[in-house]
Amino acid sequence: PPLHSTQSSRVPSTAVTSSAALSSHCLRPSIHPRGWRCDPLMGCPSDREAKAGPWRPHLNSFAKAKVLTASSTLKFIPEELVLYCRDFRVLRFRFHDSGLEPQASQVTLAIVQAQERSSGSAGTWYDSASSSAPTLLFESPCDWEKELRRLGAAGWRVSPVNERFDMATSLPKYLWVPSRLLDNELKRAFGHFNARRIPRLCWHHPGGSDLLRTAGFHADSDPEKEDVRSVEALMLAGHTQCVIVETAADLPSPAEIQLSYLKLRALCLPDSSVADEKWLSALEGTHWLDHIRACVRKASEVAALLAERSRSVILQESDDRDLNCLLASLVQTLSDPHARTQAGFQSLLQKEWVVAGHPFLQRLNLLRDNDREESPVFLLFLDCVWQLLQQFPASFEFTETYLVALHDSSYIPFFSTLLFNCQWERDRRKQGGCLAKETGGPYLPTIWDWALRYTTQQRAQFRNPAYTRGSGSVLNGSSAPVGAALSGNGAVYLFAKGALSPQTHLFPWKSGSLSRKGWRRAQSSESLSEQDRSLRSKPSGCPLQPDGLLLPASAGPLIRLWRRCYLRGSQEVQVMPAPGTLAGRVGVGLRL
Amino acid sequence: MLGKGAGGSGAKPAKPSFVSYVSPEGHQARRKGYPNLLQKKWEGSSRFIHKEIHIKEPIEKEVNLHLLPGELLLCEANTVLKCVQEDGSNRGAYGKLICTNFKIAFLGDESASDDNEPEFKNKIIGENDITLHCVDHIYGVYDEKKKSLSGQLKKYPEKLIIYCKDLRVFHFCLRYTKEEEVKRIVSGIVHHSQTPKLLKRLFLFSYAIAAPTNTDTQSQTVMFDAIKDWREELERTKGNMKYKVLSANEAYKVSEKLPLYFVVPMSLSEESILQYQGRGIPIWCWSCHNGASLLKMSAFPKEQEDNTSQMHKIFLDGVYKTINKPPYEVLKTDDLSSSLPSLQDIQAAYTRFKQLFLIDNSTDFWDTDVKWFSLLESTNWLEIVRRCLKKAIEVVEYLEGQNTNVLLIEENASDLCCVISSLVQVMMDSHYRTKFGFQSLIQKEWVMGGHCFLDRCNHLRQSDKEEAPVFLLFLDCVWQLVQQYPPAFEFTETYLTVLSDSLYIPIFSTFFFNSPHQKDTNVSGEGHNAQSSHFRFLTVWDWSVQFEPKAQVLLNNPLYVEKPKLDKSQRKTTRFKHQRQLSLPLTQTKSSPKRGFFREETDHFIKNILGKRISKLINSSDELHNNFTEFYDSWHCKPVDFHGLLLPHIEGPGIKVWAQRYLRWIPEAQLLGGGTVATATKILDVIEEVQSLQKKMDEKHSLTVPQSREALPMLRNSARLSSLFPFALLQRHSLKPVLPTSTWKDLEDEDDLAKRDDEFVDLSEVI
Repeated sequence: PPLHSTQSSRVPSTAVTSSAALSSHCLRPSIHPRGWRCDPLMGCPSDREAKAGPWRPHLNSFAKAKVLTASSTLKFIPEELVLYCRDFRVLRFRFHDSGLEPQASQVTLAIVQAQERSSGSAGTWYDSASSSAPTLLFESPCDWEKELRRLGAAGWRVSPVNERFDMATSLPKYLWVPSRLLDNELKRAFGHFNARRIPRLCWHHPGGSDLLRTAGFHADSDPEKEDVRSVEALMLAGHTQCVIVETAADLPSPAEIQLSYLKLRALCLPDSSVADEKWLSALEGTHWLDHIRACVRKASEVAALLAERSRSVILQESDDRDLNCLLASLVQTLSDPHARTQAGFQSLLQKEWVVAGHPFLQRLNLLRDNDREESPVFLLFLDCVWQLLQQFPASFEFTETYLVALHDSSYIPFFSTLLFNCQWERDRRKQGGCLAKETGGPYLPTIWDWALRYTTQQRAQFRNPAYTRGSGSVLNGSSAPVGAALSGNGAVYLFAKGALSPQTHLFPWKSGSLSRKGWRRAQSSESLSEQDRSLRSKPSGCPLQPDGLLLPASAGPLIRLWRRCYLRGSQEVQVMPAPGTLAGRVGVGLRL
Repeated sequence: MLGKGAGGSGAKPAKPSFVSYVSPEGHQARRKGYPNLLQKKWEGSSRFIHKEIHIKEPIEKEVNLHLLPGELLLCEANTVLKCVQEDGSNRGAYGKLICTNFKIAFLGDESASDDNEPEFKNKIIGENDITLHCVDHIYGVYDEKKKSLSGQLKKYPEKLIIYCKDLRVFHFCLRYTKEEEVKRIVSGIVHHSQTPKLLKRLFLFSYAIAAPTNTDTQSQTVMFDAIKDWREELERTKGNMKYKVLSANEAYKVSEKLPLYFVVPMSLSEESILQYQGRGIPIWCWSCHNGASLLKMSAFPKEQEDNTSQMHKIFLDGVYKTINKPPYEVLKTDDLSSSLPSLQDIQAAYTRFKQLFLIDNSTDFWDTDVKWFSLLESTNWLEIVRRCLKKAIEVVEYLEGQNTNVLLIEENASDLCCVISSLVQVMMDSHYRTKFGFQSLIQKEWVMGGHCFLDRCNHLRQSDKEEAPVFLLFLDCVWQLVQQYPPAFEFTETYLTVLSDSLYIPIFSTFFFNSPHQKDTNVSGEGHNAQSSHFRFLTVWDWSVQFEPKAQVLLNNPLYVEKPKLDKSQRKTTRFKHQRQLSLPLTQTKSSPKRGFFREETDHFIKNILGKRISKLINSSDELHNNFTEFYDSWHCKPVDFHGLLLPHIEGPGIKVWAQRYLRWIPEAQLLGGGTVATATKILDVIEEVQSLQKKMDEKHSLTVPQSREALPMLRNSARLSSLFPFALLQRHSLKPVLPTSTWKDLEDEDDLAKRDDEFVDLSEVI
């Protein structure tokens, strides 16, 4: 039926809810506008809710908008269909010709039902030759080997101990563990941690420090009775000093993130009722920017800890699957120039989110089976990266456009990358597990196959023309700890709320979780902010920034709203200048 | 900055103290690299060292004080400690504090001739110079209490805090200064910067008399002090069919408020112009391509007497009758004093707003940081910016969308009239988005328009009541446009920032008079005096006075593309088409007798199509805002023509803080290797490459002699720059990072690290 899309301008267009699109269980109303300026970030809209609000500009009667669900029956012929997309767009379709065409209700219902049906099962995709992406997927041991070599982390090896997921289902198949620890020693460590997620290497600092991540100590593990030498060896990782970072201490919980995201969405919708002069306090009230600040601040604290001296820094979160993913990858984005290239960033996401077992399925709630677990931790991370990008516009190989594309990809249910809770589930699906009907299972591409969705021209906008490759900080020149004797008396510090406090024992826990109670607080516990400030206030006359370390600011005026992503729905606030032109691309960040 | 957020109680830095624990010698030691954590320790031990090294009196170095022509040294004090406030400590540099009839200056004992000479150096105002007019407030610290200093002082403070109008904050510790020197310098500074002054005592005059008369450099900036400038402007905007330049005010016979030459509607009679000294007559500002014009008018003051106000009314009726007749068509009047915030509101908002950025120490900064957005909102400054931009869009809509003349009315037509009329012209006329065009616009609307710079900036300190940052408000509005549409402007935000700083430099006449009459009488009044009869004032538009060519490059937008020169007939047609599109429903509304019917329709249409956000903009007459919203909306739906009409986004998220101007001195806002300068570096590199390739091509084809090209600043090593570039030079004091990386080989530093570690946490095993 002829429709009017009123999103941008009233251009006649045709909405096609093709049967192919419907039968493939994925919602994809295609819009074919005539003479419509193409949004380079056009992905598939994945609907949140559809409202039909019949109104006619030439009639004075408008009924109330009605929220539609699959079970709704239309008692009236809708005059307009409004799709509120998860990617912050709002699409309006006006049914032409007095709205009495029967197709109007057909199309509306079809869309709504397709949306609901898409919740039932994951999408299918045609087979396509997998493109050769330089992204390391960390599904095979050679990716792990390759990355370990790049990091120059001597003293570490790739362990296939979890190859069959028999140690921990949510962990990746391969783990980076200290070389001197044999697999059978390693096996003893699993039981001490929640969901058997043991400490393992994330990243090796060229200065010698190691970044590790782990779940919390398991409630039943008892260091008094059992042999904990393997746990010690894992945590100290050959260093004499070990800092345990309580990841959750300063960061919002997934539930808080979800709450503030919902508030933010409500604020950014074009029909939000917030007056312009109250916009700023309303934005503050969402706390979204506060959460970003907390993440950015904590990540730079950890990055400073790593850069300061050779030690092991362990990120510890109770289940090691949400904020640890965020923090570990943010710290690496700050510390490792390679993570700021597109391939490096994608590899980072694979390593710290995808195979590390971030429960994407639950958190993004694509199947809509459990709203309570929904929380956009990943989107919070993307926003943090965007903040870094706008603070350091020449330090990233990719652009804001790329991040928006990545943001949108999280709602497209065709890709194996963000569709599963852990690698084990992903593998089972691949091998024709219970989810697939046919044997062998359909091929699910990764989201890194950008060519599937974006034209060459669009992908060209992923590249940042202002990117200046760092002065080639060599990561290989490692000064790895050379045979430093493992000792039980390694100095252990706890890092929380910006302060380091020394611990008397490596295992201060008794009843499972780290409690700060019995801990001797250092008399002059050194404030990290002091260190960090001296880091930040380095004079311009100094040598280059160490190792291309980025030290972002988290002050109020510098943490900004990602307008290009969140304000897409309101037509008035379109990001300028028009992307695509050279001036546009360069000019976006240019404020001389 | 880390760990300073909410809940970072463990990490809170020591309370800022206004007492310095560091003696001069202690300071020396500090410079060698003792971390500030040891500072408290120094309280005791420095005394000890004091005795030992005391033989070596701080060497009175010959500091090279650079005085401008006509500048006189008034008082000075030695051994003043200029504190670095970034971390609440009292680290700093020793030197001499001086006060001249032009500036307050701090001369460091250690010559600042580092290897890193700033890229962007102001030749007039150094890093540690504060012109007397730039001083906002002076505080003294007595026993850790801050008191505002003014008038006669009974007690002399141990520390002087100077808040500047360009938002720098200086802390001068006077503990180690001789008592009589303290007395002299403090009372000198307070007196010369705070007490009321006579116009003739402005440094402007001393400088103009003493400085060698420059040869008249022909600038492209139109000054509008000659009749030909106005004629050319009329011709350029094609306003010469309906408007004429008057020279009736030569020798200011008509009015002292008006410039020598001004433009009025042709049909206006000479006598009506003379009747009320220029009040009540429409004065031309600018003409739109479609013939609609922007006019301004000084309103009559509110009269008590019925008779007088009746006469005024009759006079105005006559005037309106004249200018409502063809060829002028419809006229829309807008009384800005009722539709925009008052000057008092603007001043109050700015006073609140600047407090967010005048920061004593980082604790203050982090305190405000938690509630940043709501604090920002409560100042109301951004809302005032929004309202001005919105008013300008309304005027644009009348001119462009409805083909209507607009008459702005204000008491003296020299405050908000200047803001709105110049904003309208920047939005509608791409000529005013070039550097020379913008400067000409400021000459036309502000300098010749009689904006009372002297009173509004309170340069003479005569009355606080008259003070209001009207010009700054205008620059802030322009900044919003510049940051929303960078490619549309030939100048950069840095240009706007240095322009705002130039408001306080009293060697340029541009911003130091209330009217052209005041300027002219003060120049000619000196006429009897033979030696000064030929003195000339400098204008701020001569940027070479302040900046070397290398630095001036940073004022120009490298991505600006000049308007392609179309042939005239072609341009006319395209413009006409554009305009038809925009005004189609509105012209109908205007002329149709069935107005109500149409109006209702449009009303519903707009409410529905635009949603609530837009309807929020509706607050007065419905019709006005229907037109406004539709105009605004339809413009924003189209791709932007950077050389055409430009409308700013004025929704909540659209209006931002002019970060460069307001945050440039705050170390917490600094990003090493980050900020927009990182991109700028790349762009300048590319441009340089293109230029050199071009040169090679030229040489190869030997077509022409290679033109002299603009020198590009060397921004190569962006890792050495920070986001505060080009303004931040304040990070030099802390030469010692904590990072013990391999790049850091200074043994002394390693020692210090070990020492500190011993003291606090035992982290030293590794080393």
